[in-house]
Amino acid sequence: MRLPIVLKLPDDVKNLREPSVQELADSFLERRWIDAGPNGLAGKRIEFPGLQGTITDVLVRVEMLDGRSWTTIVHPSQPWVEITAAQTRLEVMGTFIVQGIRHILFGADHMLFVLGLLLIVKDRWMLLKTITAFTVAHSITLAIATLGYAEAPVLPLNAAIALSILFLGPEIVRSWRGETSFTIRHPWVVAFAFGLLHGFGFASALTSAGLPKAELPVALLSFNVGVEIGQLSFVALILSLERAFRILEVHWPRWAEALPGYTVGSLGAFWTVQRLAIMFGGAR
Amino acid sequence: MNTTRHNPLIQAMALAVFVFLCAQTALAHPQKGEAVGFLTGFRHPISGLDHVLAMVAVGLWGAQLGSPAIWVLPVAFPMVMAAGGMLGLMGVPLPGIEYGIALSAILLGAAVMFEVRPPLGVAAALVGFFAIFHGHAHGTELPPGQSALLYSMGFVIATGCLHALGIGIGTVHRWAWGQKLLRVAGGLVVVGGTFFMWKAVA
Amino acid sequence: MKGATQSRLPLYAFVVFTCVMCVFPAEAHLNSTGMGPFYDGLIHFLMSPEDIVPVLALALLAGLRGARYGRRALFTLPVAWLLGGLAGLSAMTAKPHPFIAAAWFLLLGGLLAADAKVSLRVTTALAALLGLYHGYLNGIGMGQFDTAAVALLGLVFAVFILIALAAAFVVRLRTHWARIAVRVAGSWIAASGLLMLGWAVRTR
Repeated sequence: MRLPIVLKLPDDVKNLREPSVQELADSFLERRWIDAGPNGLAGKRIEFPGLQGTITDVLVRVEMLDGRSWTTIVHPSQPWVEITAAQTRLEVMGTFIVQGIRHILFGADHMLFVLGLLLIVKDRWMLLKTITAFTVAHSITLAIATLGYAEAPVLPLNAAIALSILFLGPEIVRSWRGETSFTIRHPWVVAFAFGLLHGFGFASALTSAGLPKAELPVALLSFNVGVEIGQLSFVALILSLERAFRILEVHWPRWAEALPGYTVGSLGAFWTVQRLAIMFGGAR
Repeated sequence: MNTTRHNPLIQAMALAVFVFLCAQTALAHPQKGEAVGFLTGFRHPISGLDHVLAMVAVGLWGAQLGSPAIWVLPVAFPMVMAAGGMLGLMGVPLPGIEYGIALSAILLGAAVMFEVRPPLGVAAALVGFFAIFHGHAHGTELPPGQSALLYSMGFVIATGCLHALGIGIGTVHRWAWGQKLLRVAGGLVVVGGTFFMWKAVA
Repeated sequence: MKGATQSRLPLYAFVVFTCVMCVFPAEAHLNSTGMGPFYDGLIHFLMSPEDIVPVLALALLAGLRGARYGRRALFTLPVAWLLGGLAGLSAMTAKPHPFIAAAWFLLLGGLLAADAKVSLRVTTALAALLGLYHGYLNGIGMGQFDTAAVALLGLVFAVFILIALAAAFVVRLRTHWARIAVRVAGSWIAASGLLMLGWAVRTR
């Protein structure tokens, strides 16, 4: 299925060869060989009419004859890109860091999973271990999937991620009641195990199709850094808010105190059912 | 114990400086938009050496005088200065601004040099009087098309940082050598002020 | 010792928040983050100093008076902001008046600089008025109701976080020095208000 996105190059550009079009499992790859004329591409716009009506991103990569290259990601909010004269490696990294931050801020499922872990964790040391375990685990699978060593089918993966959130729900209730379980005693093990799953999920958001092999490590690393920045700021925000409430002596009613836990559980359940239904019912 | 108690504040100040550096680098590349207003405002008081000398001298003097002057001056000064700026904006003329600023540097420097200890009210009135000149001279130069709010904030924050710098240097006052050093610094401010006065007259 | 280490967290969070606010104006002309209306609203607040500064001043003022006042501001201001915003969504266009913006700076900054012993009732009234007024201004011209309402939620969420962090930060300050520093911040805000007032008079 092809999305209604068109690649529109500046007007005075001539095609040197027939464009190559490639449909991959989760992406669509279009290559052009162009002659940009005497003035080059600098300062010109590449537009993607139709992109604003979708929720997908476009990875733009320009390779010049002299070996210089230029990479960026175009989002629906601004469906065009302006080529600057030169691009440093730092700017490429910045592109993918932003991509990583966006993904974690957008990914309610990942954030809910982290929130669930925070609700279970009792002290700082445990928090450190748990967050580190989650980070290490998802970095491993993100790298494996991006470098092409393994691949997770999207639909079962999404269902499994939802299941990991659902799994935390009862554990949170258990920890409220003062009961204990393997998860409550060793949340980092759970964080590591499910972190492997979430890493595959992150990989599906890293638009890297069409990047040459040599550039993949940089993209991967920066994307992962972005994900960590987003994740750590989320953790820091939750912790400092919790601390602020305690300093301000806010006494929440019982239902409000239970709200985060039940949100994790019920949304996890909802997503599990929904994604299982999509998986078995087929995409409609 | 004293040091641990002050730790968070010092850390906060260090972080605040870092924040400004961040903001500076983040905004350094040429761009349009409102954010420039903050930078113009922030740079303005720092760019004029006469202003810088007088502001730092206020901080030094406050540190010499100790509590409560050390905090009354930085709390009161920005507001009085802004009042001076407002007068300027409203078109109320103030004669001899150049002389006023140079004179303020000379007098404040002299106060630091001789460790003058007037009653708090007198010190505040003296500083406040000069604050009006400084505000009148510098607060009114917003380039067209920039945000007045951000310019004002940048201007006020930069002035506050200069005070903080003066107070920070002034903390050496607790040692004997530090007291001598402060008086030397006051002398330097006097020299600077005299230079600007000479330039204003000539 | 444990208490001392724990109390740093709001400080750091607060400073990081400030840092983010300082860096974000670099792209102040972006209206859409491309991340949905919730984040649009959130970022919109973070990039509007005319909104942030009075909220910050109120939070610091309430924090200086104690946890109870901070709590009151924490729950009054966002609710009033939301109500004002919803009212503004259905309003005609109106321009924010520069005098009123300057007056808020002056009033809240002045109270903070003077370490005014405002009563709980006055704190509530200030929070409600500030929220209604700024929420109303935010609500005007936000566009279609459904997305605008979500954007408004994101905005109010940012307001809530800012008050919680700033007020808690001040409540924990016990040393004389730290409280003075907060008052100096108040005097800066009031001074900015004075200058803005001058500008408003001049450009009128």
